[in-house]
Amino acid sequence: MLHIQNRELVVPGQLIAEGGYRVHEGAFREGEQVYASVVGLADLRGQDIQIIPLQGRYIPKRGDVVIGVVVDSHYSGWILDMDSPYTGNLFVSDLLQRKVDLVREDINQYLSMGDVVVAKVKDVDERMRVQLEAGEPGMGRVEGGKLVKVSPTKVPRVIGRKGSMLNTLQDVGECRLRVGQNGRIMIWGRDPRMINAVVEALLMIEREAHTSGLTDRVHLMLEKIKSEGGE
Amino acid sequence: MKKPEKLIVDGKRLDGRTPDELRPLKIEAGILERADGSASVELGANKVLAAVYGPREMHPRHLQQPDTAVLRCRYNMAPFSVDERKRPGPDRRSVEISKVTREALEPVLFLELYPRSAIDVFIEVLQADAGTRTAGITAAAVALADAGVPMRDMISSVAVGKIDDTRVLDLTKDEDNWGTTDMPIAMMPRKKLITLLQMDGHFAKEEFGQALDLAFKGCEQIYGAQRQALRDKYAIKKGE
Repeated sequence: MLHIQNRELVVPGQLIAEGGYRVHEGAFREGEQVYASVVGLADLRGQDIQIIPLQGRYIPKRGDVVIGVVVDSHYSGWILDMDSPYTGNLFVSDLLQRKVDLVREDINQYLSMGDVVVAKVKDVDERMRVQLEAGEPGMGRVEGGKLVKVSPTKVPRVIGRKGSMLNTLQDVGECRLRVGQNGRIMIWGRDPRMINAVVEALLMIEREAHTSGLTDRVHLMLEKIKSEGGE
Repeated sequence: MKKPEKLIVDGKRLDGRTPDELRPLKIEAGILERADGSASVELGANKVLAAVYGPREMHPRHLQQPDTAVLRCRYNMAPFSVDERKRPGPDRRSVEISKVTREALEPVLFLELYPRSAIDVFIEVLQADAGTRTAGITAAAVALADAGVPMRDMISSVAVGKIDDTRVLDLTKDEDNWGTTDMPIAMMPRKKLITLLQMDGHFAKEEFGQALDLAFKGCEQIYGAQRQALRDKYAIKKGE
């Protein structure tokens, strides 16, 4: 039996349901009862219960694409800051996707301190030590572009249902975007004015993430800025 | 202030409240821009701020726990929060309150979800009128929820005491000074589990039970205000 509506705002300790539901993130079970553990919107789908949090830090999960910044290097790789309680470790071999002879090759030619890297979380162990890889196309060191930061809980909204929001941003904004699950977003584009417009749009999405009809409003806003033209 | 003849006249206290009445309560969530989560609590003349940072990387590294996050609390009184200027910095009293605050909050947090990290809670008392530790815990619980830290339950906190041989809820400074007993309590309102209980003074066995019932009643009201504060933060945005 459910005690709340779908999309309802819940607070920690609030009773959500009783019975044999499958409990996902943001909720926990105590005997027969299911309670919320975070402030968020209830996402109820059949037997599945999940609370979409409205606040919180990025916690690395296997398979996530993140945007990191190199903060340290060691013998065989680099430490990346992911704007999370945990740093990520990227080995040279996971960046270049080949065996690297560390005696013969100087790995500092590939990445240096402060570089922005698109990477994928290869593995997270129970002590939250994070292994990254950056071998897939489009990953690795980022050249040019603009780096923007939004709250990691708002990332699903930036992407939208089946990528609808992201497509709007890219098509109307005439930019290319790369969204990291940790809330960092890279923007590349020709027109600096449109890049700034997309940044504005991202901030708007972050502010109004839990309202409906947002994709249309973003579309309108970008179209308006575009039609105004450069002066 | 001189000791008044009586603290309760015709069933009313010095400030006009009945024995089982809280002071006017105002809770607000998400008031600080730079903290991950924050809250302010005003309970009568008490004004308390709480800020939460984290989970974040634990420094110094040797304090990291490999299997769980570490909760750190600091209760601090502003020099101007009391009548006579308080010398700034931690003292015996605030170190103790920081410790019991941490222990009052710890049981509701899913700390095991964030190994090797730290969650920092800062409680700043801007204006004090007795019951600041309970107001601080109430604020910290809202700030933790506002920061998105997973919790089993809220923590609501209130003090009860005895003045003029009557059990009363939520003592003021004067009632604390001239009364017989002061007993701050923090609890999980859903499960009715007590996470903090201190007592200064005496209670007879049956008085203790009655005082506890009174505290439960007070916490219930505070719990309602805490939930409302968290909801209000997003309700305003919804209307935009």
